[in-house]
Amino acid sequence: MANFDVVIVGAGPGGYPAAIRAAQLGASVALIEKEAAGGTCLNWGCIPSKTLIATAEAYHRLRAIPGLHSCSPTLDYAALVEHKNGVVKKLQSGVQQLLKANGVRSISGTASFTSRNRLAVTGSETIEAGHTILATGCTSLVPSFLPAHERIVDSRAFLDRVDLPKRLIILGGGIIGCEFACMAANLGAEVTIVEMLDDILLTLDPEIRATLRDHMEKAIGITVMTGAPLDEVSANNSCVQGNVGDKTIEGDLLIVAVGRAPATGKLGLEHAGIATDESGFITVDDFGMTSAATVYAIGDVNGRTQLAHAATSQGITVAENIVRKERTRMETLIPAAVFTSPEIGVVGLTEEEAAATGIDVLTGKFAFAGLGKAIAVGETVGFVKWVADKATDRLLGAHVIGAHATDLIAEAAVAIRSELTLEEIGRTVHSHPTLSEAWMEAAHAAHGTAIHAPPSRGK
Amino acid sequence: MGQMIIMPKLGQTVEESTIVTWRKNEGERIAKGDIIFEIETDKAVLEVESFYEGTLLKVFVQAGETVPVSVPVAFVGTPGDEIPDPSAGAPKPRPAPTPLSNPPSSSSPAPAPQPPATTETASAPKLSDPQPRKTTDSPERQAISPRARALVRRMAIDAANIKGTGLTNRIVEADVLEYLRTSRYDELRVTPAAVRLASREGIDVLALPPPPPGERIRVSDVERALEERPQKLSRMRQVIAARLTQSYTTTPHFFVTVGVDMTDLIALRTEHKANGGTYTVTDFILQSVVLCLKDFPALNSRTDGESVEWSSTVNLGVAVSLDEGLVVPVAHRAGDMTMAQLNERVRELVGKAREGSLKPDEMKGSSFTVSNMGMLDVENFTAIINPGESGILAVSSTRETPAVIDGEICARSIMKITLSSDHRLVDGATAAKFANAIKSKLEDMDLWQTLM
Repeated sequence: MANFDVVIVGAGPGGYPAAIRAAQLGASVALIEKEAAGGTCLNWGCIPSKTLIATAEAYHRLRAIPGLHSCSPTLDYAALVEHKNGVVKKLQSGVQQLLKANGVRSISGTASFTSRNRLAVTGSETIEAGHTILATGCTSLVPSFLPAHERIVDSRAFLDRVDLPKRLIILGGGIIGCEFACMAANLGAEVTIVEMLDDILLTLDPEIRATLRDHMEKAIGITVMTGAPLDEVSANNSCVQGNVGDKTIEGDLLIVAVGRAPATGKLGLEHAGIATDESGFITVDDFGMTSAATVYAIGDVNGRTQLAHAATSQGITVAENIVRKERTRMETLIPAAVFTSPEIGVVGLTEEEAAATGIDVLTGKFAFAGLGKAIAVGETVGFVKWVADKATDRLLGAHVIGAHATDLIAEAAVAIRSELTLEEIGRTVHSHPTLSEAWMEAAHAAHGTAIHAPPSRGK
Repeated sequence: MGQMIIMPKLGQTVEESTIVTWRKNEGERIAKGDIIFEIETDKAVLEVESFYEGTLLKVFVQAGETVPVSVPVAFVGTPGDEIPDPSAGAPKPRPAPTPLSNPPSSSSPAPAPQPPATTETASAPKLSDPQPRKTTDSPERQAISPRARALVRRMAIDAANIKGTGLTNRIVEADVLEYLRTSRYDELRVTPAAVRLASREGIDVLALPPPPPGERIRVSDVERALEERPQKLSRMRQVIAARLTQSYTTTPHFFVTVGVDMTDLIALRTEHKANGGTYTVTDFILQSVVLCLKDFPALNSRTDGESVEWSSTVNLGVAVSLDEGLVVPVAHRAGDMTMAQLNERVRELVGKAREGSLKPDEMKGSSFTVSNMGMLDVENFTAIINPGESGILAVSSTRETPAVIDGEICARSIMKITLSSDHRLVDGATAAKFANAIKSKLEDMDLWQTLM
C-alpha cells in the first residue's frame, strides 16, 4: 500500500498550494483529483469568468471613450470562449508542472475514507495517509423546484456554452449572479436578476450596494427584481419562463446562482469520524483541524469563507501546521473581490458589523468624482470608505466600489492586517495621479481634513 | 441661596463612604425625593435622596471617590448662584439626606466588634481630609511637564519609570527622550493601532511581553494586558477580604466534625411537608443550634484575647451566598423565639438578602453563625469564624452512606457538620460536646414532636 505523509483530496486553489507547500517542507505528498487541476476557480469559476468579464468591460467601454470616434467593435462570442479555454488550459498546465517540479504525486480518481488514515481511490490503489487535507470545495446548489432542462443551467454549465443567449434570467443576486449579469449585459444581452431577499449582495455595505444597483439598472440596463421568489418555472424549446410576484418573465436561458453546497458526498466522512455542521460543511477549529485529529479541511468545504484566496491561505497554513508541527491560526481577514460593473472590493468589518460589536465607529469616505485621475480616465463612479475605531483610530474595514476596486482593496488589506490607523494611511504618501489616492483622502476625510473634498457641515 | 449636599452618615460606625454613581448630572433639575447618587459603605450600597429642590450646579466628589462623612459632595441651587468653596464648610448645616430603606445591594459577612460610641451627630463637618481620595490607589502624582506628559502618553509608556532632572526633579521632555533611548524604545516592534490602544488605556508597551521573533506587539496583546490588569476589588469583596483575613490570622481556629444521621428527621420533614408544613431541613438545624448555644455560653461569646464578652441572647447569623459575595443577615434574639417565629424571621431575612434589601442593622450583631452548603453537594468543609464570634457551624450535604446499626450495615442519610471554634475561648472537649449536642438534637424525634 502506498504511504504518504500528507494526502490532499482536491486540487483546487486550496489543495494544490497545500500540496506544494507540504512538499517544499520535505513531506511526501499525494494529491487526489477527480477532474482537472485548479479546481472550480481555475476551470469553472474565477479565471474563466474573469476572462469573459475583461472582454465584456472593454466592449462596453469602447463605445464611450473620449476622443475615439466610429469605434464600434463586433462581438465574436465563440472566439472569446475559445480564448477563455486557452487561458484555462495554460494555467492548468502551469499548475501541473509546478506540482511535478515539487515532487507531488498526482493521482486521478475519487477518494473516500475507509478509516481515519486510509483512503480508497477509484481506479487506483488504497492510500495510507499520515495526515489528510480535505479540499474538495463545493458545487452549485440547484433547488428542486426547478425542472431539468437545457435552458436551466448553473454557472459551470453556462461557462461551457459557446453562445451568449439574447435574453438571460439569473436566479440569485449574490456575487456569482451579479458578476454574470454585468458581464452578459455589457456584451449586449438583456438580463433580469431575480433575488428573493430584499436586495442584491445583502452582506455588503448599504451604500456600496446602492451604488452598484443604480449602475446596473441605469447604466447597463439590467432589470433587478428583489424581495420576491421566482416560481412556476417552466422551459420548452423556445424559452424559459417563471413568475416573480404577479409578473411573468421570459428568457432564453436561466442561470441558477442561489448558493453553493459542500462537496463531501463521496468522501465517506463517517468512516473517519469527521463531523459536519447542519449545512453539511466540515467543522474545523481555528487551525483547520476536523474532529478527526489527523484530518484537516480547507477552503469552501469547511464553510468558513467561500473564496479561492481564503482556501489558498488556509491550505498553506494547514500544510505548515502539519509538517512543521506548528499551531498557527488560519487567517481571518479575507478581502473579497467582486467583478461586477463597477467592481467592488471589501475587507474587514462593515460599519454595521463594527457598531454591532459595541465599537464607536468612525468612517471616512471619498468619492472618485473628486479625484483627478478618475476624472481624467472617465471612471468617476464609486467611492472608497474606511471603517475605523474612533477611540484608537484603528482601521477595521475598507470598502471600495469603482474602477479597479478589486486591485485597490489590496492596500486596505495590508493596512488592516498591520493594525494601521487612519492617521498612518493619511500620512502615507500615495503617488499622483492614481486611484489609490482615494484611500489617503478618505482617511483624511474621517478626521475632517480632506484636501479634495469640501468640509462636511456640522464639524 | 443654594444648598450643599453632604456625604450622609449611614450608621454608627461608618466613617467614610464611596460614591458609586451619580444618578443626576451637573445642570440637571432635582426634585425633593429624587435619588441623586449611590454610595457604598463597608456594609452596603445605598441610594441617597435629595431633601432639596433646584439644579445640580456642581459635583465636588466624582464617582469612585471616597470621602469622610459630612464632607460636601455637591451643590444644589438655581443657575447663576455662586458656587461656594466646599472646603469652607457647608453653609447652613442641615440634616443630612437619609438613604432610602431599600438599598440596591448589600454586603459583608458580619460586623466587627463595635468601638466605644463616639461623640455624635451634630458635630461640625470634619474637613481634615478635604481632598477626595481616589479608591483606585494611584501612586504619588509625579511632577511632569505638559510636553513630557504628552510624549509619555503618545508613546504609551509609564512615567513612573522615568527619572526627572528638571527643577525639583520634575520630568521634562528631555528625560522622556533619554528614557526612550536607554530603554531601546525604537527597537520595540508594535503595530500603530496597538500603540494607540495602549496609550488610551494607560498600558506601558515596554512592560508587555516581547513578541516572538519576526512578530510585533498587536492589538490582541494589548487587549490581553488590559484583561489581565489588576482590577480593584469591589468594596464588598474588600470588606470580606479584610474581615476574613483578620479572623483567620488572629483567631486560633480548630475544627471538629461529626456525622449526623438525618434519616429520621428527613422522614419527619417529608411527612410535615406533605401535610402542608413549611419547615425546611435548615430550620431544624438552626433551631438545634439555637437550643445548644444556650447550654454552651463559650460559643455564644467573643474575646479580644484579654476579656470575654458573653451575649445573653442568641443572635443567629445565617450565611447567604449571592453572586457578588456572601452576606450574613442576623436573626436577633433568636434564643427568645419559637421555632415557628425563627422560621418566619429567617425566611424573611434570606428573601431580603437575595433581593438586596437588607438594612445595615439586619447585618450586624450576630453572636454565632451557620453556613449551610448542603445544596452544593459537598462531603465536608470548614468555615472561617466571623469576627466578633467564637464559632461557626459548617453544614454539608446529606448523603446516603453505609452505617452500622446494631452490628448491621445499612444505608442511612448522613450529614456532616463541622464546627470552627476560637480556641482561646473554646476547648476541644467543649467543641466536641457542642457538636454532639447538635447531632443529638437533630436525631431526637421526640424533641421535634414537641417543638413543631
